[in-house]
Amino acid sequence: MELGLYLGCLIPTEQYAYELSIREVFPKLGVELKDIQGPTCCGAPLRNINMSLTMYLSARNLALAEKQDLDILAPCPYCHQALTRTMAVLDENQELREKVNSHLADEDMRYQGNVKLYHVLDLLHDVVGVEKIKEEVEKPLEGTNIAAHYGCHLIRPNGLERPDDSEDPQKMESLLRAIGMDSEDYVEKLDCCGAHVMVNEPESALTKTGQKLEAVQERGFHGMATMCPWGQRMFDSKQEDAAATVGASLELPVLYYTQLLGIAMGISPSDLGIELNLSPIHKIEHLEVEE
Amino acid sequence: MSITDLTSMAKPEEEAKEDINEVLNGLKEDVPSFCYQCGKCTSGCEAFILLELEPSKVMALAKSGFIEELKDSDVIWTCLTCLKCKERCPQDLAPVDVLFALKNLSVSSGKQIDSGISNMLQSVLSSGMIQKPKEVRDHKNEGVNREDTGLPECPKPSQEELAKLQQTLMKVAQEKLR
Repeated sequence: MELGLYLGCLIPTEQYAYELSIREVFPKLGVELKDIQGPTCCGAPLRNINMSLTMYLSARNLALAEKQDLDILAPCPYCHQALTRTMAVLDENQELREKVNSHLADEDMRYQGNVKLYHVLDLLHDVVGVEKIKEEVEKPLEGTNIAAHYGCHLIRPNGLERPDDSEDPQKMESLLRAIGMDSEDYVEKLDCCGAHVMVNEPESALTKTGQKLEAVQERGFHGMATMCPWGQRMFDSKQEDAAATVGASLELPVLYYTQLLGIAMGISPSDLGIELNLSPIHKIEHLEVEE
Repeated sequence: MSITDLTSMAKPEEEAKEDINEVLNGLKEDVPSFCYQCGKCTSGCEAFILLELEPSKVMALAKSGFIEELKDSDVIWTCLTCLKCKERCPQDLAPVDVLFALKNLSVSSGKQIDSGISNMLQSVLSSGMIQKPKEVRDHKNEGVNREDTGLPECPKPSQEELAKLQQTLMKVAQEKLR
């Protein structure tokens, strides 16, 4: 299987560990990744400002993939949702599609509506499959209980086609179990990381982050797994700031699921960008990373 | 200004209400009118406790036509877009989309918005992305650039493609693509 990798903005400009681990694990699971050429922002961060820009930018990136005759892997839930929404709207509204296409024509592009879209979650769970992942595990990460954080845009809203259920997602848990880890439900599972207001209300954003981390830590989890660059940025990169904001002592390892998967598959942790995690991931012994 | 203050001010603006409804036409005709104030959105709102956002009140105010007041208030910028309101509304409405529409209206009417938000637009216009590849810190607090990680060059549009994109975006921003 060959897919076009559409990274959006946050992954290729600062969340390097997600990109590194994605580029490492997927080819080993039979998914070859090709870069989509000339991509831009998906438009989701501009939806506050002007919804037409969001619609156009999403359509443009979809058209780019079609130009290369590739289906898309969009590992950022924010992008994935914006692209899904644009596809749904433009598939239903032909008049609007023509309007968008008249602008795309200025850039020698056209959106035809025959591209398929995947996120890491459904690609691993539904396409690669849990059984195949179990077969690839060389080093099961047993004895570790990990909390799953999906990311709001990955599962909501149900009205759009999302990779897992909006109120009771379970695919990440089954993927964590596939690599030997335990993962239980917890009350705060569906809570938001706060990222969306980090630019204009940083203290409130970090309070959200800190509250969820504190809850997960108090429930006795050994760590948290994410599939969202925005969530990882808040829970891992900004964990120290979040701890200071909520006045708690937070020491919760937070990793991308693709990093955990890579380690379980026997890939060297440094090839998975493990040095870039700022939370105390050395606390998970299986990872064998230095403090 | 808090939302509570808004109810005591000014007259309903029917024209602005129509505009909001037009914005939301893609979802359902006359969206806020279908809201019967069950409060489910506010009870699950991630921004309610911290930032005093009450989506059900926003819906009530929009329904009554207090669009001007809503669009000038700071509270519409506190939505975390967790989408729980959209998910859980028994009437299949979406306070989150009403908030997006209000924010769009606020921007187009020239209200000064947070520089962090307008910078993202500037950056998309100049580089295609909300930010350029950054130097990050590793766990030893040493600086790491994208090149240091062994990743290939960041995929991005050429200068020529960017110039075309800029022109198109300026046109698109004036239109209603929804």
